[in-house]
Amino acid sequence: MRLNEDPEALEAFYRRHVDAVMRFVVRRVSDPHLAADLTADVFLAAVDSAHTYRPGRGSEIAWLYGVARNVMAAQQRKAIREVRVTSRISGRRLMDDDDLGRMEERIDAERRVRGALEAMRELPEGERAVLELVAIDQLTVAEAAEALGIRQVTARVRLHRARRALGDVVSPQAVYVKGQA
Amino acid sequence: MSNFEERLLSALKEDVAARSAREGMVATTSVRRGSRRRVVGLAAALTGVAAATTVAVTLFSAGSTPAFAVTKAADGSVDVWIKEFREPEELEAKLAEEGVKAQVDYLPGDQTCEEPRNGRSQAGRAGEPMESKIGKDGKGISFQLKPGQITADETLVLRVSFDHAHPDQPPTATSLQIVEGEVEPCTAVPLPEPNGPRPAGPEPTGPVTTEKFDTGGPGKDEGPSLDTRND
Repeated sequence: MRLNEDPEALEAFYRRHVDAVMRFVVRRVSDPHLAADLTADVFLAAVDSAHTYRPGRGSEIAWLYGVARNVMAAQQRKAIREVRVTSRISGRRLMDDDDLGRMEERIDAERRVRGALEAMRELPEGERAVLELVAIDQLTVAEAAEALGIRQVTARVRLHRARRALGDVVSPQAVYVKGQA
Repeated sequence: MSNFEERLLSALKEDVAARSAREGMVATTSVRRGSRRRVVGLAAALTGVAAATTVAVTLFSAGSTPAFAVTKAADGSVDVWIKEFREPEELEAKLAEEGVKAQVDYLPGDQTCEEPRNGRSQAGRAGEPMESKIGKDGKGISFQLKPGQITADETLVLRVSFDHAHPDQPPTATSLQIVEGEVEPCTAVPLPEPNGPRPAGPEPTGPVTTEKFDTGGPGKDEGPSLDTRND
């Protein structure tokens, strides 16, 4: 992909995925300003690392979710260390009051999903990552494996373990696993 | 789309354009080999120096316009719009992203690929006619692949011969076909009617030889200008 050279490719890519990226973000943060910043950061990161995308190897959204996970992880590290790093684009500055309201609605809509994510917090990182992408973000197991850079069989094993470990902690309504619920 | 999304898209485009301008400046400090791309880099660099705020607009409309655009419509059809015959591998990769195996060859204006390129039929596949359109001013081509028009076992083979010294002129020959399986790499051979190097400087646009390998749909070469497709 030539997202960093080709404005038309960038626009097409952006329009294909902006909604999914915002949903990904508001499932993980409840501050609308931070959500706007992170949405911008995810697309900037996608532009910067577009050369790592291999069309034959997986779906675009799986790759993008992999990028988004890295951005979220970096943000969490920043939050822990209380480091303020300015991004090239400040998402929050692009929002007016209407946008703020809409972002809050998006955040509200995903409240239950954030609760489910909270319940997964105790799981080992590797298992939680697969379960998150499959149950929360509705990727297939193959796509989740692609996003995480692991083999499909590994993803399957981790998913199985995670679901078993969670048991009745998370209600089936909150965590719907595609084709397996 | 709400305002935030549109503003973010604009900001991303500006970011990319500003970066292109910066990279263009770096490129001009190295040895210039007179390639078209290098000249584009210089133009981008100059624009960047002149007025940072206008970089985005200028770059999108002039210097570093993308060579092609591949878009997938809601109904699954794939539109391909090739504005400049460069970066064939990038085009192949982009088509692969949309599930279309493609072999793209851009050749000098007096050359074509040796045929046949594989052991099987080269007559093209019987099916729906593929519309290909050539821009009003001869720049670029566009075509559409309808859903199911090409299967995973088939290869879209695009061959364009054009005068590399005058890439803005219409191609001397264009071939677009769908073949079974894969094709051998192109072995360049002279065109049956050689079209030698043209003298430098402006000249009238010559006739466009367009070889179509579709199943004989009505001639659609005089399609709408590419310039009208601002989607």
